[in-house]
Amino acid sequence: MMQDVLRLQNLQKSFGSVRALKNASLTLREGEVVALLGDNGAGKSTLIKAISGVFPVDRGDIFVRGEKVSIRSTRDAMDLGIETIHQDTSLAPDLSIARNLFLGREPVNFGWLGVFAPLDLAKLRKAASELLKRVGISKKLDADALVSTLSGGERQSIAISRAMQFAAKVIILDEPTNNLGVEETHGVLRFVKEVRDAGHSVLLITHNIHHVFQVADRIVVMRRGEIVAEQTVADTDLLTVESIITGADMSALLKEARAK
Amino acid sequence: MVQAVMTIAAEDEAPRVKGRSRLMRSPQFSSFVILIILLAVFAVADANFLSPLNISNMMAFLPELGIIALGMTLLLTAGEFDLSVGAVFGLAPVVVMLLVQNGGVDIGVALLAGLVLCISIGAINGLIVTKIGISSFLVTLSMLLVVRGAALYITQGFPLKSWDQPGFFVTLLAGSFNIGSFRFYTSLWWFIGLSLFAIYILRYAKLGNWISAIGSNRNAAVARGVPADTVKIWLFIATSVLAGLAGMISAFRISAASPVAGTGYELEVIAMVVVGGTALTGGRGTILGTIVGALMLRAIRNGIVLIGVPGLAYNIFVGLIILAMLILHALLQKNAARG
Repeated sequence: MMQDVLRLQNLQKSFGSVRALKNASLTLREGEVVALLGDNGAGKSTLIKAISGVFPVDRGDIFVRGEKVSIRSTRDAMDLGIETIHQDTSLAPDLSIARNLFLGREPVNFGWLGVFAPLDLAKLRKAASELLKRVGISKKLDADALVSTLSGGERQSIAISRAMQFAAKVIILDEPTNNLGVEETHGVLRFVKEVRDAGHSVLLITHNIHHVFQVADRIVVMRRGEIVAEQTVADTDLLTVESIITGADMSALLKEARAK
Repeated sequence: MVQAVMTIAAEDEAPRVKGRSRLMRSPQFSSFVILIILLAVFAVADANFLSPLNISNMMAFLPELGIIALGMTLLLTAGEFDLSVGAVFGLAPVVVMLLVQNGGVDIGVALLAGLVLCISIGAINGLIVTKIGISSFLVTLSMLLVVRGAALYITQGFPLKSWDQPGFFVTLLAGSFNIGSFRFYTSLWWFIGLSLFAIYILRYAKLGNWISAIGSNRNAAVARGVPADTVKIWLFIATSVLAGLAGMISAFRISAASPVAGTGYELEVIAMVVVGGTALTGGRGTILGTIVGALMLRAIRNGIVLIGVPGLAYNIFVGLIILAMLILHALLQKNAARG
């Protein structure tokens, strides 16, 4: 039995009179990819923002490896091994790849100087090159290249490798394939599988159900702030999932259509 | 090179060629070339341009705006700017000198009060911009009016009595010394020291990485645990303090404080910074470029007077040269994006 890496229990969050999360519970096991699906406004982003420390939940508990934790800031989440990669807000385009990889966790000399401490540039570059090599993109990318010169897919790969580098237990991917071309999308999806094979757990938020069937082990569907379904990919199919998301019975509709 | 906007990731180029061409395409480099050309043109047009007296004159003015420009560069790199620097430049010495002349306060205590004043102005700017979320343009524009208005009100619009108390602080900020037939002020050391410190911060320190990241993509920096608001507030404070320091240097040098000193400096300083290649939109800052920009604007202001452009017409030329520089940077960047 694989261990539970992340367990959310009855999370609740309201914004004024809007109940964005009502009793959301979810479990993420070691080395699995769970896809979080739902229409716009279903509460997906509220849920991941709560896990990644953007805002605290009103009620409910979060457990990391069985231990109850409180996540009050993005820093807390990172320290617990939860790395979130947002659609296009993950990297600073004017910084080099190396500097982006270590943003917020820069290796420095004379650490007692605090924010005035000099960056350990040699270590920074070495670690960056090693990382790029490990994730198999070293041939194409130079650690000193500015992120603004990279394609969307390369940027996603960099962001994901950054999460891997800090040995994140949980990597949350928020719409990682948005705005990507077909080939780049496949690259990123392949990368997600590699990340899982390396032992990380992935929570994948997406609109694209086809992608889910390519990489996910389990599917969790949210609707109006609640988790309405949880199934392993092997036990379900595209139409079923689609009907759960929209709340309409697609297969019944299809049968009806065929009968006519 | 962090500041090098023009990175080319071509795979077939040898690293050395890449390094050199990166430097040559960097904005501070093109600014530097233009500066050399301008200096050459002025030197040829008027022999007095490179005379010891004229160079000494330029070097006396340079640090005063240059010091503010250093703070402004860091602030712009983090994605904000400060229009109240010229007013702070005027208010700080007025307050300090009034406290001494009319209040009988010790100069050291008065300077400390001036420092606290500058810190407060910067902190208020920073807090309103980050915590209430109003653009720095509007906040610091209002602050400009408040600070300038305060300087005018407490002096009733008149310049103060001239400053006749030499002492340690005057020597420290505005003492002068001769090298051959050149006459320099200690403010030049301040400018050089602060420039080196700013270069260190922006290029080599952890803080510089944060500043660039905040200006480049604030959300990304925040998501990595970078305290973006705190950094910005401290940068507003630093800029304000540097403006006050520059104001004190200027007032000590000319032995007088005026409530209208520094009028229009905010735009001159921003011009120096962007002419040097720092992006007005944040993320890309260069201190070397700012030094080049400060030298350039000083040289232009000085040179066009020397070559006989009528006084009332010279802003036309200053404006046109700035515009030409900005067009050049924009074209270079477009070119880099394509490559």
